[in-house]
Amino acid sequence: MSSLIATIKLREVATNQAIQAQVFDGIDQTHLSNWKTKWVPVVQATEARLLAQGAPASVYPQSAHWDWNKKTTAFQNLLSYRMFAVTCAHDTQGLMAVATDVVMHPSRLPDDKGRRALGLVYIDFLEAAPWNRPEHVQPPRYRGVGSVLIATAIQLSLDEGFKGRIGLHSLPQSEDFYRNIVRMNDLGPDTSYPGSFPLRYFEFTTAEAQAFIQGGKP
Amino acid sequence: MSTKRTMTLNLTDAEMAVLEAMAEAKDLTKTGVLRQALRLYQLIDVRIARGEKIFVENGLTKEKAELAIL
Repeated sequence: MSSLIATIKLREVATNQAIQAQVFDGIDQTHLSNWKTKWVPVVQATEARLLAQGAPASVYPQSAHWDWNKKTTAFQNLLSYRMFAVTCAHDTQGLMAVATDVVMHPSRLPDDKGRRALGLVYIDFLEAAPWNRPEHVQPPRYRGVGSVLIATAIQLSLDEGFKGRIGLHSLPQSEDFYRNIVRMNDLGPDTSYPGSFPLRYFEFTTAEAQAFIQGGKP
Repeated sequence: MSTKRTMTLNLTDAEMAVLEAMAEAKDLTKTGVLRQALRLYQLIDVRIARGEKIFVENGLTKEKAELAIL
């Protein structure tokens, strides 16, 4: 089940027009069906093209294995997790799963009183539809999906009493977005991160998060 | 983002003292601390109901010990 929580604007690249879009709290079957029938074929086409070109493994889409059906099943009944969707023109444009537990996802940067290990919204998974990403489709259809989801996470952080703090581990292909577009603090490779290689950890402090949602960037 | 409902909570002095200390340490309201406690309790309860065990690891020695859940 999902509920509409905001109406926002995305930038349609082809026309440079601001197009009305919706943010939903919760991911439902409509979003998942759209992911399965529309996102997955585009990603598979990209992989087939890269294979035909003999491209190195590093350029293959690193989120291609993410299964939003499985994530939704795993997260939907847990209070610690929240899921969000962005839709526009009857298509799902972005999906996000976040964790809101202080014990397993504490803040790492000190607050203005020097305190660490405070609550934050931890972005577990954030993905824009493949037609909004230049590695799949040139030019991409809409810009701003990732930033809308970041702003949604910050708003949730404010609602939860976490004062806007958010954190995440980035896939290598997304580091440039978080470091240079969103301009989050890059705390470097996290050797404690479970997986085959240490992902870099990024975090927004309260002041930076508030600056982002007020002006788009800190 | 979600509709909230109100309840009255009766705590002992000791429980209230812990709640207030955690709220101060975590920069949360007392309601925020209790929400966190409920989330963690549910998360652990679901895993244990599946037959899984919860372990804690010493960050320095990497020694693991099963977390006893009452």
